[in-house]
Amino acid sequence: MSDHNNSPRGVAEPAIDIGDAYVFPSPSRPGQLVLVMTVFPNAQPGALFSDAARYQFRIRPVTIPASGPGSRFEVGTDEYNITCTFAAPVTTDGAGNFAQEGTCTLPNGATVSFRVNDEHGGEAPGARVFAGLRMDPLFNDSTGYVETLATRQLAFQENGTNGADGWDILGIVVELDVATMLGRAPGTLFAVAAETVTAGKFPVRLDRFGRAFVKGQMLGELGADTVNRDLDLRELWNQEDPFQLAPNYLGAYRARLNANLAVMDGIDGKTDWPLQPDGTHPLTELYLGDYQVVDVAKPYTEDSYLEIELALLQDRAHATCGGRSLNDDAGDTNLTFVITGGNGPRISDGVDQATVRASDSFPYLAPPNPSPAVAGRILAPSKVADQLAFLQQAGLASR
Amino acid sequence: MADSGPVTTAGVIAVGNLQARIDGQLSRATGGRLTVGERAELVELLALRGHVLGCVADAERAAALADDLIGQVPGDARSFVARARTRGAFHRFGPALTDLDTAAALGGDRAALDAERAAIYQALGRYGEALAIRQRAVDRHADFSALAALAGVHGERGEMDEAERRFSAATRSYQGTSPFPVAILEFQLGQLWMEHGNLRRARAWCDAAVRRLPAYVPAQGHLAEIDAALGQTAAAIARLRPLASASDDPDYATQLARILGNTGQTEEAMTWRGKAEARYDELLARHQEAFADHAAEFWLTIGGDPERALWLARQNLSLRQTPRARALVRRSSGHPPG
Repeated sequence: MSDHNNSPRGVAEPAIDIGDAYVFPSPSRPGQLVLVMTVFPNAQPGALFSDAARYQFRIRPVTIPASGPGSRFEVGTDEYNITCTFAAPVTTDGAGNFAQEGTCTLPNGATVSFRVNDEHGGEAPGARVFAGLRMDPLFNDSTGYVETLATRQLAFQENGTNGADGWDILGIVVELDVATMLGRAPGTLFAVAAETVTAGKFPVRLDRFGRAFVKGQMLGELGADTVNRDLDLRELWNQEDPFQLAPNYLGAYRARLNANLAVMDGIDGKTDWPLQPDGTHPLTELYLGDYQVVDVAKPYTEDSYLEIELALLQDRAHATCGGRSLNDDAGDTNLTFVITGGNGPRISDGVDQATVRASDSFPYLAPPNPSPAVAGRILAPSKVADQLAFLQQAGLASR
Repeated sequence: MADSGPVTTAGVIAVGNLQARIDGQLSRATGGRLTVGERAELVELLALRGHVLGCVADAERAAALADDLIGQVPGDARSFVARARTRGAFHRFGPALTDLDTAAALGGDRAALDAERAAIYQALGRYGEALAIRQRAVDRHADFSALAALAGVHGERGEMDEAERRFSAATRSYQGTSPFPVAILEFQLGQLWMEHGNLRRARAWCDAAVRRLPAYVPAQGHLAEIDAALGQTAAAIARLRPLASASDDPDYATQLARILGNTGQTEEAMTWRGKAEARYDELLARHQEAFADHAAEFWLTIGGDPERALWLARQNLSLRQTPRARALVRRSSGHPPG
């Protein structure tokens, strides 16, 4: 799974558990940027958003001060935030069915109101918003992925099994007019992170998401980190500001990423990311900044996930919009990026698309499966070796 | 006094999500596809729903699943922790402590097992031992659950100011959005104030729990009891009728019958009395330890069998030497509350 069931609080309160986030220029409406956050993994019909949480997309301009191995983006301080909140549901009939209203505050301060599960969503000048039950756009062979990490050998088959096959999830889709909403930013590159925070006077960050497979796998316990062998970092990571990590656990995150990334690099039997003289892995700083980077001036590309990051590290200009589209095979891209550094054939997990492909037009996410698959909701283990047993015992393992 | 506390997800959403989680897990359990952790979690979820919705059948189902779990995975500490909790819920405190010892021998987490043990000590009236464990947990990490548990022990010891202080600290430290832990905490405080005779405070906390979780049956039941104690019998009856109809816990039918009887509505009172009696007979046959105290209340009042009430009250006292159990024996013996 990408980030499904990776937080104790998320498992207890699935409506705030972020599964994935996606950012991409609209394939059908040039000039529009699409942001998608999925929450409530394996939701069933009737699932609703929490009225005690804020669902936020945080957007900041980024620049590239220097490129080459070990580089990272420079994140600006201006924010162009989008915050969605939901009301307590109200009954609409005598049959126990509920309707829920939502409101989304846009970067220019305007608001959009909408009704959950209304296919048309809500609209304001420069923005459209949808929220509701949809099919989970995630696809990957979760068993092969975990087995690869646990055994440190590629463990995929030609025809893999999508671990999220037939799942439904709650999705929030925001389509923004770039010129209206982000036009005053100095450039066209933006960092985007999704997060859920409590709605009270003193907001507490509940979950956050930037790049795929960071929390459960790259920060998981692979058994390689000699500094903190048994520390589950996920909940600490969730509480961090995606654009400014606090110093308290920075050393722990850095040690874990240095160790795990080196192990992953060696899975194909060669080293594509030589460590820097101080032992730092060249991708560590990049992954510490856990957000997607998108170029809003570039047209939509389906498979552009991590292209801007790779260009940064290879000291060249990026060619695509970056971000992550709904149909992008981010699992394969991620493994290929970390394991081969782009110096070898693309790694495939044998799963190339979701149960139903996402659409090119609003609200982009495929309609919900009326009889969604049912899976357990229990915290995925932090130890990667235990994740494999977990998937097998849960009947989610494909072999 | 109760303030609005932390903002949590609307009760209707949370209960709906809980139901969906249980339904999903049960359907997978039928196919034998649950991990040990998921099966233990299902036991917890059923026990939670049983408590919130006043459903004894859920608690029984949780207990049966926990028994199955021991048979299926006897070498896993989680199996024994799950069964210890369900045994504790049915007041089988000795066997529950034995399960916790087994879980410890199987390598279960020591701090977590200590917390389970403290809950049982508390139910047994061994407040000193419970307090020591709860205080250690707070000293180690003063999070919501540790502070809430410590508050509960202070409350049981009659140290209500300290209990309120710890309850407030617990709610301030709450970092989630689920309404269940907070509503349960608010209800517990209401229950404690009621036992200490402060109906105004009891009502404020039970009201807070019901605002947070409108479907919370025990909190609704206590509000009805407060209504009745304040002479607002019509409100109490209105609150109890749906509870007595929907819940398989005879406590609500007992309360309703008693209040109806006191107001001269004898025919309806007798109907509810009959239902409560039949249900207590059933439950006592299966779980005498768990229902001895409430059944004693029934036969002491509307049930009209003080001898049986005294016998049950003594059974309850033999199980746990709490102030509440002693008071029940005194009242059943015809003595005024001490």
